Amino acid sequence: MLQAYWYITKMRLLTSLAYRFEVFASVGTNLILMLASVFLWKAAYGGGIQQVNTLNLQDLTTYTILSITLSSMFVCGVQDTIYYKIREGQIVTDFYRPIPLFACYLADDLGGMLSALANKVLPLLLFASLFFGIPWPSSAISLLLFIPSCLLSYGILWLLSALVGLIAFWVMELGNMGIVKDSIVRVLSGSIVPLWFFPESVQTVSKFLPFQYTYQTPLGIYIGTVGTKEALAAMGIQAVWIAFLFILLAAGWKRTKTKTLIQGG
Amino acid sequence: MEAVIEVNELVKEYMVAKKESGLRGALKSLLFPEKTKVKGVDGISFSIAPGEIVGYIGPNGAGKSTTIKMLTGILHPTSGSIKVCGISPQADRKAVVRKLGVVFGQRTQLYWDLRLGESFELLRRIYQIDKTTYEENLAVLSDVLKLNEFIDTPVRQLSLGQRMRGDLAAAMLHSPEVLFLDEPTIGLDADAKHAIRDFIKEMNRNRGVTVILTTHDLDDVEQLCSRLVVVNHGKVVEDGPIESLIHKLTPHRLLVVELQHPCDDLSHPAAEIIKRDGLKIWYQFEKQRMTAAELISDLSQKLPIQDLSVKEPDIEDAIREVYKTT
Amino acid sequence: MQKMVSSIRHYVSVAACFARLAIQRQLEYPLFLFSWLLMIPIQYFSGIWMLKIIVDRFQPLNGWDFPELTFLYGLGLISHGIFVVFFINTWHIDNMVINGAFDRLLLRPMNVFFQLVASYVNFIGLIDCIPGIIIFIYGCQLAGFEWTAFNIVKLLLVLLGGVFIRAALFISLGTIAFWTKRNASMVSFALAMLERGTMYPLSIYPNVIQVLFTFLIPIGFISFYPAVEFLGKSSGGLQLPLSLALWTPAIGIVCFLLSQWVFRIGMKSYESAGS
Repeated sequence: MLQAYWYITKMRLLTSLAYRFEVFASVGTNLILMLASVFLWKAAYGGGIQQVNTLNLQDLTTYTILSITLSSMFVCGVQDTIYYKIREGQIVTDFYRPIPLFACYLADDLGGMLSALANKVLPLLLFASLFFGIPWPSSAISLLLFIPSCLLSYGILWLLSALVGLIAFWVMELGNMGIVKDSIVRVLSGSIVPLWFFPESVQTVSKFLPFQYTYQTPLGIYIGTVGTKEALAAMGIQAVWIAFLFILLAAGWKRTKTKTLIQGG
Repeated sequence: MEAVIEVNELVKEYMVAKKESGLRGALKSLLFPEKTKVKGVDGISFSIAPGEIVGYIGPNGAGKSTTIKMLTGILHPTSGSIKVCGISPQADRKAVVRKLGVVFGQRTQLYWDLRLGESFELLRRIYQIDKTTYEENLAVLSDVLKLNEFIDTPVRQLSLGQRMRGDLAAAMLHSPEVLFLDEPTIGLDADAKHAIRDFIKEMNRNRGVTVILTTHDLDDVEQLCSRLVVVNHGKVVEDGPIESLIHKLTPHRLLVVELQHPCDDLSHPAAEIIKRDGLKIWYQFEKQRMTAAELISDLSQKLPIQDLSVKEPDIEDAIREVYKTT
Repeated sequence: MQKMVSSIRHYVSVAACFARLAIQRQLEYPLFLFSWLLMIPIQYFSGIWMLKIIVDRFQPLNGWDFPELTFLYGLGLISHGIFVVFFINTWHIDNMVINGAFDRLLLRPMNVFFQLVASYVNFIGLIDCIPGIIIFIYGCQLAGFEWTAFNIVKLLLVLLGGVFIRAALFISLGTIAFWTKRNASMVSFALAMLERGTMYPLSIYPNVIQVLFTFLIPIGFISFYPAVEFLGKSSGGLQLPLSLALWTPAIGIVCFLLSQWVFRIGMKSYESAGS
C-alpha cells in the first residue's frame, strides 16, 4: 500500500525535475517577489526608523525571505487537480483506483514538495543569502520549533486546498474557486505583510481563522517574535485546526462521494 | 501535364533531447541536457499530377506528418525543394495556403463552443470568399455532407462523424485545388467512413481536386487511392498503383484444402505447407511458378480433396511486407 | 494604395468576426466568471490596502505618500487590464504550439501574429480594469490630479504606450515557447516583475534595478515615470528632454516593433525545428 503512494510521489518528483526551464523560471519569479518585498521594507524603514512593533529591518528581511521560500515549497496542487479532472471528466477513473483518492493527491503533492526542496528552496536560499546575508534563525530552539510548525502549516494549507477542491464537485460552473482562496490566504496568512501591523480589529478576527497559522506562526517562531511557550501553544492551535479541517474534509468527502456516485460523475 | 506537387530530395532533421531514466538520470538531464540529431524525413522525392488521389502511408513515426507539414508550409525543410501549384510554400506561404484545404483528423479547426455555421462565417472572411461563391459552395457541401442536419448545433455536441464532416466542409469552402487529409477517418464508425469516402470521391471527380491522404485504414486506401506512396524511416519505399504494389510485394498465393480423411504424404515440390489444422491444409505458392489450376490438379491426384479455396493477397498483406522488409 | 485599403478592410472584417465569436464563446459559460469576479478585486484591493498599512505604520515610501502610491498603483493596474483584454493570447503560445492551434494559423492566408492576437479578445479582462479604474480615480482624488484636456490626452497616450510595452514584453517571452514548448512559468515570472515594477515606485529599488527597468526592460515607463510627471515627483536621477510622460508612447511603439522582429525570428526557428 505505502509502496503505491511512494510510487506516485516518485513519479511526480521525476516529472517536475524534467521541466528544467519551468524550474528556472519559477525560481526567478519567487526571487523577484522576494527582492521587491525586501526593498519595500527597506524603504519603509528608511531614514532612521529602527523598530516598529518590536521588529527591525533584519527581522522583516528574514521573515520575507522565508515566507517566499515556504510558498515555493508548499505545493497544494490538489485543488487544481480535482478541478481539471472534473472538467475533463477524468475524475471517474480516479474513483476506481484501489487506494483512497485524497491520499493519492497528497502523495502527488508531497512529491512536488520534495522536488521543490531540491530545485526551488535551495537556489532561493542561496540567492537570498548572497543578496541579503544568511537569514539566521533567532536561536537554535526557534529553528527546532520552526520545522514541525512548518509541517503543521502545510497540513492546514493542504486541507484547505482539498476542501476547496470539494467545492468543484458541487458547483463546477463557478470556475476554480481555488484562486479565490489563494488570494485570501495571501493576505490573511501574513505571508506578505505580517498581521502584527494590521489594525487591531483585523488581528482579533484573524485569531479565530486558520490563515495566520499557516505562514505567520512558523515565521514568527523563526525570527523569535513568538517565544518558546507561545510557540508550543501556537502549534497546539495548528494541530487543532488540522484536526478540525480533517474532520470537515472527511465529512464533506463522504457526502460528495454519495452524490457523485448517484449522479454518475 | 504540369505537376500539382513536386517534391525533390526533401530532408528534415531535428534535435531530440535524450531523457535518461531514474532519479539520477532526471537530475543529469536537468543540468546537462543531451541532444541528438534525427532525420525525420530523409531524401523524399515524388510528384503528383492534378486530379490524383494519393495515399501517403507508413507506420507511425515514418515521417508522414512531417512531410505533410512541409508541403503545407508549416515547417521548412532542412534541404530539398517543394513546389505546390508551382509555388514554394516556404517562399510564399500565403499564396500557397490559399490553394490548400487541410484536415487533421485528430484535431478540429472548428470553434468548440459555437454552432458550426459560425466557424464557416469566420472562414468566409479569412479567405475573402464573396457572398455568391460562398453560398454556392456551402449549398453543394451541405448537399453532399448533409450539413443542414447540424449546422446550427454547437460543435461540442456533434458526433465525431458530424464533426469530421464539418471539418471537411471548412477545408473546402474556399475551393482549394489540393486537399490534404491527415487520418480523416480515424475513430469513425462504418457509416461515417462511408460518407467521408463518398465526399472525397465526389470532390475529386466533380471539382478535380487533388487529394493527398495519410491513413492507417487500408479500406480508405483501397477504395479511394489510385496511387500509393509508402514511406518508412523517412524514405519512400514504394510508389505506384495499388495493383502493381500488391503484385510486386506479395508474389504468393494461398490454397486452402480440406481433406476427406487424414493422409500421410501431403507435400508438393512447388508449394510450401504453412499451416495445418486437422483436415485443413494451407499451401503457399508463387504465382509466377505455377497456376492455381496446376497445383489443384497435382494435389487432387494424390489427395482425397473435400473442399478448396484460393486466397489472393490484399493490400494489408502488401503493406505488412513493406513494414517487415524495411 | 487601393490594395492596401482592401487589405486593411480584410483584416478589420476578420478582427471584427473574431471579436464577435470570442464574446459568444465567453458568454457560453457566464457563471465561470464568478471566481474571477471575486478573486481579482480581492487581490488588488488588498494590495493597495497593504500599502496603506505599511505607510500608516511606517512612513511614506521614498517620499511617496499614500495618495501618490494609489495613483501609481491604479495607473499600472489599468494598463494591465487593457493589456489583458487585447493581448492575452501572447500568454498561451506554448499551448497553441503543443495542441496544434498554431499550425492552423500558419495554414491560413493571413499574418500569423495578427491571427494570434485577434483570435481571442478577452472580455473577461475588463474585470481587471474595474479595480484599476476605481483605485486610479480614488488616487486622482486624493492626489489632486487635474483633469485638464492636455492631461487627459497625455494620460491616454501613456496608457496606450504602457499597453504596448507590456505587449512587447510578453510577445518576446511567448516567442521562447517556439523553442521550449512551455513557457507558463515565464509568464508568471513576467507578471510578477511587472506587478512589482509598475505598481510600486521604482525609486525604492537599488540603482541597478532602476537602470534595468528604465533602459533594458523599460517597464518604468508604464506607470512610474508618467506618475512622476503627473504628480511632480522626483524621478530619482533620470533626466529626459521633453515630458517624461510623452516618452511612454514612443518607447512603447519602438518596443512593440522590436518584439515583432523577435517574434519573426521565433517563427523561423519553429518552422525549421519541427517536432
